[in-house]
Amino acid sequence: MSFGKRIGGIAFALAISVAGSAGLAASALAADATIVWGKPAEITGFDVHVAGTVASWEMYQMVYETLLTTDENLKLQPGLAESWQQTSPTTYVFKLRANAKFSNGRPVTADDVIGNLERIKNPETASYWSAQLGNIAKMEAPDDHTVTIELESPHPALLAALAHITAAIIPIKELKDGSFDPTKDLLGSGPFMVSEHKQDESWTFVRNPNYWQSGEPVADRLEVPIIPDESARMAALRDGRIDFTTFENPDAVQMLGKDANIKVISQQTTNYYRVDVNALSEKSPFHDKRIRQAMNLALDRDAINNLVFGGTTRVDYPVPAAFGKDACHADPVYALSRDERVKKAQALLKEAGKEHPTVRLMATSANPVLGRIAQVMQQSLQEAGFTVAIEQPPTAEYLQKVFTDGDFDMALSWLAGYTDPTMVIAWWNPKFAVWNQVFQEEVPALSAALDEVKTMEDGPARDGKLKEICSLIDDSSNLLALVSKTDYIAYRSDKIELKVPAHSGSSNTFQYIAAFKSLD
Amino acid sequence: MRLLVYFAPKLALALVTMLGVSVLVFLALRFLPGGYADILLGPFATPDARKVIAERYGLDQPMIVQYGRWLLAMSQGDFGVSMVTRRSVIAEFLRRAPVTLELASLSLGLVLLVGVPLGVAAGAAASDRPQGGLARLVGALGASVPDFVLGSALIFVFSVWSLWLRVGGYVPFFDDPVTNMRVMILPTVTLSVFGIALVLRTTRDAVLRVMTEGYITAAVARGENPRNIIRLHVLRNAAIPVVTVVTTYFGFLLGGAVVVEVLFSIPGVGLYAFNGLLNRDYAIVQTGVLLAAAVFIAINMLADLLYAIIDPRIGSGSGR
Repeated sequence: MSFGKRIGGIAFALAISVAGSAGLAASALAADATIVWGKPAEITGFDVHVAGTVASWEMYQMVYETLLTTDENLKLQPGLAESWQQTSPTTYVFKLRANAKFSNGRPVTADDVIGNLERIKNPETASYWSAQLGNIAKMEAPDDHTVTIELESPHPALLAALAHITAAIIPIKELKDGSFDPTKDLLGSGPFMVSEHKQDESWTFVRNPNYWQSGEPVADRLEVPIIPDESARMAALRDGRIDFTTFENPDAVQMLGKDANIKVISQQTTNYYRVDVNALSEKSPFHDKRIRQAMNLALDRDAINNLVFGGTTRVDYPVPAAFGKDACHADPVYALSRDERVKKAQALLKEAGKEHPTVRLMATSANPVLGRIAQVMQQSLQEAGFTVAIEQPPTAEYLQKVFTDGDFDMALSWLAGYTDPTMVIAWWNPKFAVWNQVFQEEVPALSAALDEVKTMEDGPARDGKLKEICSLIDDSSNLLALVSKTDYIAYRSDKIELKVPAHSGSSNTFQYIAAFKSLD
Repeated sequence: MRLLVYFAPKLALALVTMLGVSVLVFLALRFLPGGYADILLGPFATPDARKVIAERYGLDQPMIVQYGRWLLAMSQGDFGVSMVTRRSVIAEFLRRAPVTLELASLSLGLVLLVGVPLGVAAGAAASDRPQGGLARLVGALGASVPDFVLGSALIFVFSVWSLWLRVGGYVPFFDDPVTNMRVMILPTVTLSVFGIALVLRTTRDAVLRVMTEGYITAAVARGENPRNIIRLHVLRNAAIPVVTVVTTYFGFLLGGAVVVEVLFSIPGVGLYAFNGLLNRDYAIVQTGVLLAAAVFIAINMLADLLYAIIDPRIGSGSGR
C-alpha cells in the first residue's frame, strides 16, 4: 500500500469511528441521587491519624467521624459521642451513640475510642496530632458506650482536638485482627463508604447503610473526580459534569459570576496565610531580630487582601480573626498606619546596619495563590529597603528546605486555625511544635505563656493571656499571620442543594455532606 | 538468520542500557530534595515521625540495599507498590497504558495526516509557491510553541467557550466514543503540533534531497507523470529519515506525553508518573522511567527492523 493510501486509511478509520458513534451522543448518566464533587487534589496517604494535608482530611471526612464536632459558630457539638461531661479539671466522660456503627455493621464501642487514642499517642504511628491531645494519664471503658479520659494536667483544648478529623475513630478490632489496614483502606462510621478509587483520577462513594443519622445521607452516591486545574474545574462546573467544587483563588469566583446557575459561597475559616521567618540560620539576614521586626512592620497585609484577594478576605492575626477575639489588634504591626510602620522599619534596618538587605522568599509552586502573595510582599517590603528574591520550588523540596534543612530566609504557607485559639497558637513554642525547630527561636517568656494558656478555660483571663502572647509574637517576629484563608465554594444551584457552614475551623468545608441533595 | 545476527548485539545493548537507566533513575530520585515522609506528614514531619515513615517503607536502609532489593523484586515481576495507596504500580501502569496509547495514536495519526502531505508538498514545490510558504510557517510555529503554552491557552479558551469540546474529564472510548473524542481533541492537538513541525520539516528535507538525485532528473527527462515520480520514486527513497523521525517521535509520545496529560488531567501513565514524582512515590517513578525506556528502545529496534525491510542492504553486511 502506498504511503498516501495508508494516510487515507487512517483518516477514514478516524472518520468512521467518529461518525459511527454519533448516534450515541448525549448519553447522559441516568438521573439518580448522585452528587459530584470536583476535588482539586488527591490524598497523600490513607492513614487518617497520620496524613497532615488538607487534601487528605477533606476526603477522610466523607468516611470517618470524630467523637465531637463543631457547628458553624465553631462551638462544640455531639459527634460519635452524644454527650460529654467534664467531671474535674482533668477528667472527661463521653457517652457514645448507641446506634453508631461502622459501615461493616459493627457498633462503635468504647474500646474503639480508647484504641484510637492509644494509636494516635503511640510514637510508632507517627501522628502529629498526639501533642494536641495533651498528656493522657488513663482511659477506661465502664461499659461499651462510656469512655473516661483522665489527663495528667488540665488541657481544655482536648475537646476541640477530638473534633479534628485526625482524631477520627477507626475500627480498632478489625485493625487488630488484620481484616482492615488503615494505610490501604478507609473504613469508618461516616455517611459514605468507598466503592472505587482510581489514584489521581477519581473516587466513588456510596451511602453507608449503617449510618446512625436517620434519612442521611440524602444522596445515594458521591462521585469525586480529581481536577487540579482551576480552568478545568470551571469548565466542568459550567457544563454540569460536577455539582460543586472549591477554589482558593477569588479570580475563579469572578469568572464564574456571570453564569446564572452557578452560585459561590465564601466560607470564613480560622486558617490563615502565614510567613515563616528563619531566625536561627546565621546565613539569613533575619538572624538579627531587628531585621525581622522591620520586615514584619513593612508587610502590607491590606495590600495582600486587596491585590490578591480583591478585598474578599481580611487581615489576620496569630489568634485567628474568625474567633472574634481582639487579642492582637493593638500590636504595632496592626495598629500603626502604613507610613508610620515603614518609617519605623527603615529606622530598625539602619540601627541593624543593613539598610538594604536582600532576602529569599520561598513559596511552593503547587499553590499559585502563594506566588501572588509573594509578589505583593516583594513590593511592600521594597518600600522599606528590602530586596526580595522569590523562589518557587515543588512541594517536596519546599518542605525539606523549610522544615528539615532550615535553608531559607522567609517561606510562605498557611496554617490551620482549628477550633480553639490555644491549639493554633501552641505552634509558637518550638518545643511543643517540633516541626519548626530549625527556624523558630525559642522565647522562654513566650513558651511559658503558651504553656499557661493551654491550661486556662475560655474567659477574660485567657483573653488577657492571649494578648500578652500576641505582643511577644509580634516582638519576636518569627512566625507571622498575613490574611485569612477564605474558601470559595462554587456550586450548580440547578443541580444540587447544599448546606455549608459559614465558618470552618478544621478544614471541614463539607461537614454537612450527608444533607446534600441532588436536584437531577 | 540475517536479522537475528543483526539484532543480537542490539538486544544485549538494550539490556545494558536498561540496567544503566535503573541505576540513574534510582540515584536521581534519592538525591532529589524532599521525600515521601514530607509529603505524607506535610509541615508536621518531625524527625521522629519521618524516621518512623522511612522505616515503614524501607527507606532507612543503605542505598545499595534498597537498589538490590528493587532489582531482585523486579526480576521476580514485582515492581513495588505506591506508598500513597499501597497498591501494585505495575497494575496501575497497565490500567493506564491504553489511555496513553490512545492519546499517542491519535497524535501520531494527526502528525502523519498533516505533517507528511505538507512536507511532501513543500519539498516537491518550488520554494516560492504558496504550499512551500505554508509549510514553512506551520513548521516554524509548531517547533517554537511549547506544549504547556499552547495547552494552557487552549484550556483557557475552551473552558470559557466550550465549542462542543471538553476540557478535562476523561471518558474511555468504549464507554462513550463521542465524549471521548470531545475530551481528546484538545490534548491531541496540543501534543501534535511539535510533531507536525518535526515530520513536516524532515519530510520536506528528505523530498528535496531525493528530488536532486540523478534518477529523478532522468525520470523527468523521460517525461514521466510528476505524480508518478513523487509516488514511485521520491516517497520510497525519502521514507527512511521520515520513518526514523516518526518512530522516535512515537516512542516519545508513549513515554513522554507527561505535560499534556498533566495539563488536561488525562489519566495516562504520564500523569501517574508525574504525580509519583511530586509525591516522591519512588516505585511509581522508577517503574515509569524503566517502562518508558523499554518502550523507547523497543520502538528504535522496530525502526531498525523497518529499515532492514525497506532497504535489504541494511544488516546484510553489504550496505550501509
